[in-house]
Amino acid sequence: MKIRILLAGLVLTVAGCSSVSQGGYYWGNYSVSYFEMVKDRSPETIAKRISALEEIIEQSKERDLRVPPGIYAELGMFFVEDGRKEDGMVQFENEIAVYPESKPFIERLVSRLP
Amino acid sequence: MRKILCALLVTILVGCETLETKREAFPKMYDAELKPVSLVVVPAVNKTTAADAGDLITATIPQPFADNGYYVLPLPIVNKIFQEEGVVDGMQMISAPASMFREAFGADAVLYVTIEEWETNYIVLAANVTVGLSYVLRSTTTDEVLWSYKARQVVDTAGQSSGFLLLDVIKTAVATAMTDYLPIAYRVNAQAVTTMPFGNYHPLVGTDGDSGIVIKSVRDAAATDLAN
Repeated sequence: MKIRILLAGLVLTVAGCSSVSQGGYYWGNYSVSYFEMVKDRSPETIAKRISALEEIIEQSKERDLRVPPGIYAELGMFFVEDGRKEDGMVQFENEIAVYPESKPFIERLVSRLP
Repeated sequence: MRKILCALLVTILVGCETLETKREAFPKMYDAELKPVSLVVVPAVNKTTAADAGDLITATIPQPFADNGYYVLPLPIVNKIFQEEGVVDGMQMISAPASMFREAFGADAVLYVTIEEWETNYIVLAANVTVGLSYVLRSTTTDEVLWSYKARQVVDTAGQSSGFLLLDVIKTAVATAMTDYLPIAYRVNAQAVTTMPFGNYHPLVGTDGDSGIVIKSVRDAAATDLAN
């Protein structure tokens, strides 16, 4: 009896966070949007990629999860490419705040920007 | 009785392979000095004729490695930098000293991925794809191999039969669209990662040393593949 209740609880727990990965991240549409952009880099696939990144950040916050590695940085890069350098810098700071070991990479990246 | 059966099954499956725990197989990953936190993935070396295989692997690699507890440098940005520097194939990177990746990217370790097999087989009513990859993780401070493994999966890619022979043949060929390969690529990456010690962002970091089944010959084969 006890086991059954435990099992039911476990199923509920697992099913409840089915879109959260084993590592505790929400990845949303990460790999599909990435692959589509790599195959055909166009304004459409880039727009889809940006909304995928924004959705990952939004959902992670909603679920009280750490935003996965690289998401803020990549979003920042899109902002920079779009001429919104200041918005990009904010995202780069977010990446460093969550992952301090990204600092040397981000600093090199920023130094390469025009 | 069940225990004996299990033991027997393990013996049959493994034969005379040497099995090790994660700590035995990858001691440097438990060394506080050498254990990497951040890793950079270089473009995959594609030894197959499947042109899209590299992109499929690229798109699916960050997830399982980040889930295993590592900070994976943003691959889309890293790849863009490689392209700007004229690097399109990981082959160009293999002979470069690993320390270069510390200087250029500030990464603790560099991950090399080789696509060994990517075969799609069509058999009238069915189709399957065989994907084989090898992985080598090298320290950017000492150049040493920290972790290496090979993973292989054979996946049935045919859908449900429609009951009409010709239609099924056409469907099988069409059904295997490029995005259908994404879950397969993901599975191969995830399979290899099961032998990799947890990184600092994993809640169980440091506790997995005595677990895991690492086949020594598979570990060594991956490291040898990179050298050749």
